[in-house]
Amino acid sequence: MDTTGVGDAGANAAKARWLILIYHLPREPSRHRVAVWRKLKSLGALYLQNGAAALPEDAVSREQLEWLQHRIREADGEATLWEALPNTVAEGRSLVEEFRASRETSYKKLAESAGRLRRKAALGSSKSLLLEELRKLEREFRAERRRDYFRSPLRNEVAAALRELRQVLKEGTEAGQSRNSIGGK
Amino acid sequence: MRWATRRGCHVDRTACVWLIRRFVDPEAEFFFVEDQSEAPKDAELFDVAGARLSHHGDACSFETFLVEYELGDPVLQEIAEIVHDADLMDEKYDRPESEGLDSIVRGMQLTLPDDMALTYHTDALYNGLYTHLSREVL
Repeated sequence: MDTTGVGDAGANAAKARWLILIYHLPREPSRHRVAVWRKLKSLGALYLQNGAAALPEDAVSREQLEWLQHRIREADGEATLWEALPNTVAEGRSLVEEFRASRETSYKKLAESAGRLRRKAALGSSKSLLLEELRKLEREFRAERRRDYFRSPLRNEVAAALRELRQVLKEGTEAGQSRNSIGGK
Repeated sequence: MRWATRRGCHVDRTACVWLIRRFVDPEAEFFFVEDQSEAPKDAELFDVAGARLSHHGDACSFETFLVEYELGDPVLQEIAEIVHDADLMDEKYDRPESEGLDSIVRGMQLTLPDDMALTYHTDALYNGLYTHLSREVL
């Protein structure tokens, strides 16, 4: 289990290098701006200000941002990609905190959805439908986890909630099946 | 024939190397360069911004290879979906294999000394994936 969570934010933040994409796209057609914004959002990048987005430096974010830079240039925009170190430890730390906070909202939503499914299960909704919805939540969680670069404290909570939900639904399904058809599997 | 790509290969490039060796050019000789200006003059560039064999629109380089070399093998199409999801991380095909592949190749990248060694090992990985999927697809 993850025990390295919240405590060492300072130590990590002080060492963290950042990639900063600075770009500008023509106002029209707007689809390029939307596509770039979407991609940055899905990568979990944080806008420092308009047209300047930051991601923690690693091989994968570098690769993703390089392709994005290429795409912006293809769309007649301008883009430069920079590697950066925050000037002070405090600045790095607050950026890390902002990254964590940006994941909190989505994790909270996931936790709420898991709670809702659990209440539905208790009320006896169709297990197969609930399992389908659970799979959707698990997929969203994996996407969220991938862009959760600094382990938001809620990550473990959501992981546990989903695991418990799966357990509940599985037990429910098995109990239901064994009543109807024994040895179906 | 000579082939060149960027150093620090991940899923898309390691998969392309395997594809080239197995389906395009068994005699292929590879160059992994820091900058494309270091690539031999006669080398075909791939997965390099602006090259013919690279990302185009929504497609990753592996997908471009399948189109350019008219490789219609359904198993390769499946592998392309897995590679696409691992490379572009947009869940386009929602292939569960992508996450595992991504983790494994990222880890191998850290443990192996260079791209030559990496692609030697990932060849076995993609051969395995190909055989496994062949049993399901065909």
